[in-house]
Amino acid sequence: MTSSTITHSPLLNWLMGYEAQRKRLLKTAPEGALRDFLSVPFPDIHTSIEKVDILSVDFETTGLDAKKDKLLSVGFIPFKRQQMSLSDCYHQIINTQAQLEESNVIIHHITDSQKDRGKALRIVVEALLTALAGKVMLVHFARIEKQFLTQACYELYGMAPVFPMIDTLVLAKRRLDKRDVSYDPSELRLTNLRHKLQLPEHNAHNALNDAIATAELFMAQMSKKNRDGKTTLKDVLL
Amino acid sequence: MDTELSEISTFICSIPPFDSLPKHLLAQLVRELTINYLRKGEQLPPKGMTEARLYILRKGAMSCLSAEGELVSRLGEGDLCDAFYHSNHNNSDEKRLNVHTDEDCLIYSVEASVLQELGERFPSISDYFSQNSAQRLKSKMTKVNEDAILSSTLMNTSVGNFYQSPVASIDVNKTIQQAAMQMNEQGYSCLVVIEQDSPVGIITDKDIRRRCVATGLATSASISNIMTQDMCTIDIKNNAYDALMIMTAKHIHHLPVTKYGNLVGMVTVTDLINNEGHNAINLSSVIHKANSVKELTEISMLLPKLQIRLAKLGSSSDHVGKSISAITMAFTKRLIEMAEFKYGPAPVPYAWLAAGSQARQEQLAHSDQDNALIICDTMKTGDDVWFEKLAHFVCDGLASCGFIYCPGEIMATNVKWRQPQKVWHSYFSKWVDTPSPQALLNSSVFFDLETIYGDVSLLREVKKELLKKTKKSTLFIAHLSKNALGLRPPLGFFRDFVLKQNGKHRATLDLKRNGIAPVVDLARIYALAEGISAVNTIERIQQAAGTPSLTKSSAENLIDAYAFLGILRVEHQAKQLMRGESADNFLSPKEISKLEREHLKDAFKVIKSLQDARQSNY
Repeated sequence: MTSSTITHSPLLNWLMGYEAQRKRLLKTAPEGALRDFLSVPFPDIHTSIEKVDILSVDFETTGLDAKKDKLLSVGFIPFKRQQMSLSDCYHQIINTQAQLEESNVIIHHITDSQKDRGKALRIVVEALLTALAGKVMLVHFARIEKQFLTQACYELYGMAPVFPMIDTLVLAKRRLDKRDVSYDPSELRLTNLRHKLQLPEHNAHNALNDAIATAELFMAQMSKKNRDGKTTLKDVLL
Repeated sequence: MDTELSEISTFICSIPPFDSLPKHLLAQLVRELTINYLRKGEQLPPKGMTEARLYILRKGAMSCLSAEGELVSRLGEGDLCDAFYHSNHNNSDEKRLNVHTDEDCLIYSVEASVLQELGERFPSISDYFSQNSAQRLKSKMTKVNEDAILSSTLMNTSVGNFYQSPVASIDVNKTIQQAAMQMNEQGYSCLVVIEQDSPVGIITDKDIRRRCVATGLATSASISNIMTQDMCTIDIKNNAYDALMIMTAKHIHHLPVTKYGNLVGMVTVTDLINNEGHNAINLSSVIHKANSVKELTEISMLLPKLQIRLAKLGSSSDHVGKSISAITMAFTKRLIEMAEFKYGPAPVPYAWLAAGSQARQEQLAHSDQDNALIICDTMKTGDDVWFEKLAHFVCDGLASCGFIYCPGEIMATNVKWRQPQKVWHSYFSKWVDTPSPQALLNSSVFFDLETIYGDVSLLREVKKELLKKTKKSTLFIAHLSKNALGLRPPLGFFRDFVLKQNGKHRATLDLKRNGIAPVVDLARIYALAEGISAVNTIERIQQAAGTPSLTKSSAENLIDAYAFLGILRVEHQAKQLMRGESADNFLSPKEISKLEREHLKDAFKVIKSLQDARQSNY
């Protein structure tokens, strides 16, 4: 870790920041789930991707603006190497106060009555933080999960944590950009990327289904990218 | 919530045997799944998964190879891999397979212990995986036979066709002893109890045993003490199937039949099950009355319809084959009678012989004609002119009735197959003693020979000599076996294709060549090796059961396999005939369900194992 090539890498500086930020935040974090989360070190960035513990996460929300809109449901499933167990999966609807809009219900299929039977935001976020400790978060289109989780933590704890992420959309985009051929942005949708990699049809809009679908997509992407087995966490981190 | 894991659930419940799982157990099973992504060329099980598991291929393709490197099966989407389901591979008959991926694969799996636990509440699941091919096929055929009984003509027949009338009845004031005496006298096990002309209950011999003798009730007590009061009845307008359903649901064997609310008769389970169609018999008698080839030709147009009808009634292919063969025989006989009338009586005794499928009574509508003539040795030069005329008349007649001329010229019109008894003796001797390829080809047709018309002793004597010879001639049997074993059933299916032994794919399965014919050949070998004179395949197998050639359980398995192939063939042909197409034996995997494909694979396995056993015999 003392080699000069490493210190010259801007990506690495940024990533070193992750661990540094974690340690810094740990000092001020309130007692509880957030503190517990921050007390577990993140995986070393030079770890082979096959050995990294990953948590595939998906949120359903009332909209795209984390300040205005609300988190509706959270789904996640942990996995490692090319394997995951459905017995480890989690899905929970949140009993947010917001009134659901019809146009939105069509997408996520969560109705007001289901929502009212949901659990409190604190309980769900704490379940997520507990599962995420020591793992890397995997999402498709990171902005939503990143902003909504940050916002939720501000509301609950008055501060936001750092969390390393992998984004399957970004991985696919990097690949397409390298080809230097124009492409339709819709090609980057979860459904379309899965189709291209011969994964089964995926249509559901449910946080858990999407989390599983994203994990499968990542496995397929790694099957192509990591043929030589040399891919490390650094190569795929956001 | 409903949509949680919905896609995975939908996929799992499309695969037998999980398609029969109740919803809550399915949800539980899905929660226990593990998902793996394997790259092309990786081995199953994935690293670190040492416990016994069932693998379900979600996407991709895999090959299963035997320890010797021979392709055993290829798996596609939705196929199950149970090669690692049993933790200890001590089962001598199931050697461990090598499974590798041919493409990148998304694979679901579940621990065997989870399925076994599930099986405690839903036994058909664990049975499915603990049974071997033969056992699975047996359960399937048992169910098919049960269904055939239920769904046959009963649906289309009124209960009025079955009931017995008048009903044995007894006055409500009579004693239990009097009821028992009346049952004895009239030979009934069930009486309807009457009070002022209207039925008020029913009493069976079982009631006497259970409610009187067993409880110590005096036999002098009134029958009203032990009768069943709220008895079920069925209106005469209902069909027989409904009657059977009521009896099955209520576990009763007798059901009073009413008309406008009045008791008119009684129907029993036995009455319903003994019912059989008599279509073939009706048609035979019409054929017998026909006076010209033209009339016969018109009647023959009904044959495909008969085959459709038999298939619709859920008849087994054995039943269909026997019915159609009986009708072909009726046509042949009537044509011979017409020829004898036209050309005068035969100069010497003779017999008209059917060969191949007709002799085995396994013919389906409008197959080829295979026939021959055996003539008494007293025939003189010049007599053949009459037999030649007979042969042409009958063969032409059969052809105009839709039985096409045999492409191999195995017909009585061919002088080679129109010979006196002594020549037939010499033919068979030569075929058995010096088995050339052509001789073996001939023997597969001529060892299935039956007299259709004429002097039965002519063929009987030839056959007797022949069987004496074949029983002793291991060389001949060995050659015949080698020849017959050339036809191998395919391995199974891969996606919507038939997978052959060499790993190549075919769009359709030739049911006859790759399934039915190999069984027919095996049965013939057993018969010739054991000196069995029967020609029908099932009869041959039944008679060979328990001989050195074939164990009893293998015989049962082979009959199950043969019967299942027969059902598919009959259903396939019925569909074609209904569409007005000509019937063939080429089944597309798309035509059949996933479960039927599994059963077919099981049938192939049974056939293959008996072929292998035969092969190692020599």
